[in-house]
Amino acid sequence: MSLVSTGFLKQAEVVARGLGLDDLRIAHYPGTPMVDSSEELRRKVESDLLPQIVEGLTTGRTSGRAQDAASEPEPRETVFRGTLEEVNDHFYEAQWTDGLPVFPPTIAHIERFLRVTNRAPEEVVGVCPPDNREATVWNIAATGVMAGCRPEYMPLLLAVVEAVTDPEFRIQDAGSTPGWEPLITVSGPIAKQLDFNSGASVMRIGRRSNSTIGRFLRLILRNMAGFRFAPGAGDKGSIAQNFFVAFAENEDACSEIGWQPYSVDRGFQAGDNVVTVQSVVGVSPPLYTGSDDPAEHARVLAEVVGQTCSYWSPVAMAYSKNNPLIVMGPSIAKVFADYGWSKADIRQHLYDNVWIAADDAERYAYYIGLTGFKLREHVAKGLLPQEYCESDDPKRRVRVFMDADSIGIVVAGDLGRNQSKAYCSNHTQGPPVSRKVTLPYNWDELLPRTNQTH
Amino acid sequence: MSEQQPAYEVVWPLGKSHWDKRDLNPGLGDLNGKTIAEVWDRVFRGEEIFPAIREALRKKFPRIRFIEYDTFGDTHGVNQKQVLADLPALLRKHEVDAVISGVGA
Repeated sequence: MSLVSTGFLKQAEVVARGLGLDDLRIAHYPGTPMVDSSEELRRKVESDLLPQIVEGLTTGRTSGRAQDAASEPEPRETVFRGTLEEVNDHFYEAQWTDGLPVFPPTIAHIERFLRVTNRAPEEVVGVCPPDNREATVWNIAATGVMAGCRPEYMPLLLAVVEAVTDPEFRIQDAGSTPGWEPLITVSGPIAKQLDFNSGASVMRIGRRSNSTIGRFLRLILRNMAGFRFAPGAGDKGSIAQNFFVAFAENEDACSEIGWQPYSVDRGFQAGDNVVTVQSVVGVSPPLYTGSDDPAEHARVLAEVVGQTCSYWSPVAMAYSKNNPLIVMGPSIAKVFADYGWSKADIRQHLYDNVWIAADDAERYAYYIGLTGFKLREHVAKGLLPQEYCESDDPKRRVRVFMDADSIGIVVAGDLGRNQSKAYCSNHTQGPPVSRKVTLPYNWDELLPRTNQTH
Repeated sequence: MSEQQPAYEVVWPLGKSHWDKRDLNPGLGDLNGKTIAEVWDRVFRGEEIFPAIREALRKKFPRIRFIEYDTFGDTHGVNQKQVLADLPALLRKHEVDAVISGVGA
């Protein structure tokens, strides 16, 4: 017997179906428990929840889902024939698109993608809960076709799916109410080979690789993991946000100032082709810092990154994890590097200088729904360091970031401006997960002879 | 006009469902004498909802028994993986007949 509020009934059904538990009994609490008085809550438990619980626990169900599974199409089976417009209308009606036109996934187009990997089409790359559908090399290619990707993006698409289906990433939580969105960072020579933007407007739609690979992941979340909003179900982002484009680090800028690329921070060798995917639940304003003194940049970074991430930090405290990402303009990185600051120094500065009042943290946690969270109890259980409860002063400062190493720094953006941006992650949901990109044996032959430079 | 446009034969873009077959739940009939486990994810006022459910069910089924949520740990917390791994053995140990799990909101 599962308890949910009414607004989550359809999501609960998606989760149950994905687990093969069509007979799971679900009792729903009418309305939103977080805004009801205690009296109203008790009344709803007795008058609404109790009858459902009794009925659910005492009676069984006789239906299953096996018949549905048997009727699912085979990979090469034609499910529709029509013009471009008709295909798009059909896919939209079936809720297989994101509302934008898709490129028709024909066998011929899928096979062009399959030529850019040595992996077998039927190989299961990962399973995508909550709908629990298998992401195979075949349907990853089909999704890439639909998103408008070029065939040579295929090795990168495979690596992205490997990353998000790693249990550590918790793809099953990508439809949670905060409405977080995965962000793909691309490292290594493949970024230039596939014509990724790493400069001005790096987070803007416009460059084909950045745009379509970001869209590809949103389609994977929709079609494999089952995150659709009404008239579908499964996606409960309360307000949410659009998909992010995939973006590349400006590794030339890193090299010029003597910093290692982000891939090295993630445990790989410089020059490895790597994708890293992480959740983003909040974005800072454009963060301008101006000085030839790195301490001044660090001070303003701490202020604005703190303002961006503080409100959400109680969730991170509850789950002992957060992974903010700073996308730092190359000119700012250069000021730091010129004065001998490393990325580790900047991380440590942010760790030491971003705080929130303890009572604000507990209050925000409660409003978010973490009604069982108390700093003192978390410390007592060893889930947070002792410093989070050094006194009983409700206004005592507690750290926003769990540790310095969890703060990511990627150099990208406008070479001619002094702007950075901070991206807050959603605690254990979507921590950074990286995968090395495996290229086919004949990669050099498969690449386009000329890449368009914008 | 449409017959002049090229036609596309397209494939299904989804993946096969992936789950284990399970026996269907037959239901418990009378709840008197049955043991119910509470499994809480520490969110959305479970600290009020579970006690209220407990009290209401006890009025209706005086011989119902509860294994309260503290026994099982936080199913959505830092130690979720371990809590979920330990759950089947704990349910067997306490001879649980059914679980009420929440709260999703």
